[in-house]
Amino acid sequence: MKKIYRYLSPLLIACLVLASLPVAAAPQAGSDLVSTHEALSADRYLSDRERIHEVLARDDVQQQLLTQGVDPAEVEARVAALSDQEAADMADKLEQLPAGASVVGALFAVFIILLVTDILGLTNVFPFTR
Amino acid sequence: MITCRPRQRHAALNARLAGVLALVLLTFTLAGCATTPRLAETTERQLSRQVLLDDIPFHGQRDYQCGPASLAMVLNAGGVDINVDNLIPQVFLPGREGSVQPEMLATVRRHGRIPFQIAATFDALLTEIDADHPVVVMQNLSLPAWPVWHYAVAIGYDLDAEDLILHSGMEPRRIESFRRFDATWARSNRWGFVALTPGETLPESVAGPDAMEAIADFERVQGASASLPAWESLVERFPGSAMGHFALGNARQATGDPQAAIEAYRIAVKRRPDLAAGWLNLGLMLRDHGDVTEARAALERAAESPGDWQDRARKALESLEVTS
Repeated sequence: MKKIYRYLSPLLIACLVLASLPVAAAPQAGSDLVSTHEALSADRYLSDRERIHEVLARDDVQQQLLTQGVDPAEVEARVAALSDQEAADMADKLEQLPAGASVVGALFAVFIILLVTDILGLTNVFPFTR
Repeated sequence: MITCRPRQRHAALNARLAGVLALVLLTFTLAGCATTPRLAETTERQLSRQVLLDDIPFHGQRDYQCGPASLAMVLNAGGVDINVDNLIPQVFLPGREGSVQPEMLATVRRHGRIPFQIAATFDALLTEIDADHPVVVMQNLSLPAWPVWHYAVAIGYDLDAEDLILHSGMEPRRIESFRRFDATWARSNRWGFVALTPGETLPESVAGPDAMEAIADFERVQGASASLPAWESLVERFPGSAMGHFALGNARQATGDPQAAIEAYRIAVKRRPDLAAGWLNLGLMLRDHGDVTEARAALERAAESPGDWQDRARKALESLEVTS
């Protein structure tokens, strides 16, 4: 077992180092240039606080998507595709955002609710309930 | 106790009257909201009288999946090979039994198309359809108090009959009158978007800064080589936009074309001589790929203006002094 570890460990270390290289190297290309993203957000006159909020928002959205029952394997890719503004919107008010859903089901529910409240005498929407 | 009876009857009568009044008022306000939308005269003159984009595939929705279905239709129309089943895990929120607007746009990005929100007017909607772009629209089919949110794809219209044609729900080429459609669309603040291939002509109604945001957001997800054609079409459409040329320069630099990048930065600072970020990037690129004296001049311009990039410009200037 020890022998396996002796070979495995250096291999693992090498893998990890190699895997982390592209991340470290990515900003290297033209590193000191001002990126479009930076310049545009500077143009939007966001305060530092708002910017931090936008950065933190992504973690928040990730959590919320999980609670909403999204497949964990999909969550990261879904959050990554959001713009900063969209991520902030989702983090702040996912509950209030309208969700495009269906036609018949919900209308029928409203009809039933109103019918029931009518029969109970709480509302008076349908003239035939009396 | 007994004296309460007549008063109670009186109260009941008042309540009934109030109810009738409320109902009448409600009907009037609803009718007032639901007027046939008027088009601007210029739009009316420019538009074709009848349009039907008959090559847009239809996907019927199942259960609550009008979001994924609408996305599949516009993505297929733009040449993306994807079906509703693949899209459901990417955009549907099981907890909400629906799909939210930010994620509709984000999913378009994931599939290599750029989502542009159209202006919130009936003119913008018809103009896009006339330009061969199917538009995903969000409607509230019910009243604001009991919203029934719904996505559909607008694919045609008939100005004379005042009808809009949509792929909606289970119904392909559904015909809705302008009036009824606009009433339901207005409840989402007339939200709608087109999904365009990078490099395609930008939507008629989009404003420069919004288009730039849309492309920059796309670039963050898909990278510079995917967004480069979009920046080209942006500066073609808004030749005066300094930020547009600046962004084009960045995309060209990232895809390994330094000379073309320098060219774009030069135009950017010509359009807006106070664009410090433009001077800074121009200076840095010239330092590495061009003339050092010119680079110094550009960096000095960048270091002059106070703001976010002043420090970086000063440091670059110092490094220039050391090397030369």
